[in-house]
Amino acid sequence: MGRLISVTLTRALLALLIVVALGPILWTVLGAFKELRDIVTPVPKLLFSPTLENFATILRNPTIRDGLLHSVIVVSASVIIGAALGIPAAYTLARHARNWGDDVQFFVLSLRFMPPVAIAIPFIVIYLDLGIYDTLFGLILVYLITTISTVIWLSVPAFERVPLNIEEAAAMEGCSPFEIFWRFALPVASPSLFGALVFTFVLVWNELLLALTLAAQNATLPVVAASITSLGKEVPWGVINAATVLLVVPPLVFIGLLMGLLNTSVQSGRK
Amino acid sequence: MANISCTDIVKSYGAYPVIEGMNLSIPDHEFVVFLGPSGCGKSTMLRMVAGLEDVTGGRIEIGGTDVTDLPPGERGVAMVFQSYALYPHMSVADNITFGLRRQGIPKSEIAPRLEQVAEMLGLAPYLDRRPKNLSGGQQQRVAMARAMIKTPKVFLFDEPLSNLDAKLREKLRTEIRKMHLQLKTTTIFVTHDQLEAMTIADRIVLMRDGKIEQMGTPDEIFERPASRFVADFIGTPAMNFLHATMEEGHVARAGGIAITLDPEAFPSLKPGQKVELGLRPASMDLCEPGVENAVTGTVVLVENMGAEGQVITEVEGEEMSFVTQRFRRLSQNDTVHFAIRRDKVHVFDPNTGQSLRGV
Repeated sequence: MGRLISVTLTRALLALLIVVALGPILWTVLGAFKELRDIVTPVPKLLFSPTLENFATILRNPTIRDGLLHSVIVVSASVIIGAALGIPAAYTLARHARNWGDDVQFFVLSLRFMPPVAIAIPFIVIYLDLGIYDTLFGLILVYLITTISTVIWLSVPAFERVPLNIEEAAAMEGCSPFEIFWRFALPVASPSLFGALVFTFVLVWNELLLALTLAAQNATLPVVAASITSLGKEVPWGVINAATVLLVVPPLVFIGLLMGLLNTSVQSGRK
Repeated sequence: MANISCTDIVKSYGAYPVIEGMNLSIPDHEFVVFLGPSGCGKSTMLRMVAGLEDVTGGRIEIGGTDVTDLPPGERGVAMVFQSYALYPHMSVADNITFGLRRQGIPKSEIAPRLEQVAEMLGLAPYLDRRPKNLSGGQQQRVAMARAMIKTPKVFLFDEPLSNLDAKLREKLRTEIRKMHLQLKTTTIFVTHDQLEAMTIADRIVLMRDGKIEQMGTPDEIFERPASRFVADFIGTPAMNFLHATMEEGHVARAGGIAITLDPEAFPSLKPGQKVELGLRPASMDLCEPGVENAVTGTVVLVENMGAEGQVITEVEGEEMSFVTQRFRRLSQNDTVHFAIRRDKVHVFDPNTGQSLRGV
């Protein structure tokens, strides 16, 4: 009997936590499908006739559409380049440059200590002089600081956890250092590296401040979404909710795709 | 297959010397065991032969070729690690054949070789599995198969059995020995387990603090230990040591204990000389009081080992143990007499620890 009560209580608590965690997200998703008068009623409505009007507004709005496109380009370019440069760098630090690995890792981390505001203003000046202010290239460049440093910081421990004996066994079979990295260290460390990439992606996908200061016409989605909220009294809540959903979907899709990729790559180690 | 020769090998990490001027020559087909306590440099020595550690000074040759500066893959050696070091993202078959596939050997040639080694090590039913789905013993067999399929000139084993339970360790030990009798590949095997070394080796290289303490067949190491360290390290139960002073007639006396030594084995001993006697428990047995080399003691503890028992006694305030089959009628506080044959006694210099055996 006592056990039953404790189980019930635990479940109730768990349910409460889930509601607290997922409630706002659910409300946002519901709001995205509501008409404005369903949203602003004093009594919250759970049952309503859903509409796709909000999404249509967003996708018809060239500013938002461009924002989405810019976000996808900027974020994927900076994450892919960041991974291509950061992962080999992390492996080298973990295995071949142990002596100054700690210093480099601290330097890389120190890049993240810096508040973006501190670099935003000088960057505006530099970018204006270089003629890359308000370009996607400029944004990618500044995001690379974030992506490369985060990827390195999170990947070094991932590579350190790869058993050294596995790499030595590969060396005994005649593999070159690059082959050892590519065919052994990388696949064995891939689950942890995957986490690092997702984290990095989310970090730059949600970045607002640098995008706000360094781009005007070529704004990314967070900038556009932020600008909608400052439209004045007649707030288009439905549109904002739809924009939020749109902002959240790509990372989810990205995570799903990577997870699928990871599962197949882990299972098909044979060639 | 090949002989191995190491000349004046020095290895140091920064200012720390780990191995100081080691010379070693291993003939073709021989099964050599590097034995020693942890930190004696035996694994470092093996890894230098493998090419996984740089050599600070000296020269390593395998089959007459200087391999000192060659990368591991070009030395024609295969290694089995303590942690198995299987590739977790590949199936068992792919683990075993990776090296051959990498060299571009055609599949038609790999398949029969895979079948042969899998058959030999009993791995045929597991070829499609992942390493993590195998037991420790099976994983180590996969690691052995991976080393064997390359038909290397030299096998290197780095404490391959230490992660396995006692029974499996014994079984795999026998298998490794059988494999060597069949393939006759020159082998270096590192272990800290003296019983493993005794049972498996053609020759044992006993190391201590980066130097070779003694090199010889298991019999030589056991019967004629070159130093107190070797005598203490080899053999279970461990040897009894006794400080004594030489008297006339080749008798070593320690208090009431008088042990007569073999004058032919220890011709250099002079009366008055301080010595340290080594008495193996297994070389002693119960006796009648008054026979030569008899020792009288009080039983402290009897350890039943099945066929025989180790009897720990107190002799003049010191603990001494011996092994007997007639241990069942002994109990605590009994007075016992036990003796050792004079040709079984070892004598060491109490200062240097070196054996005082002549010739």
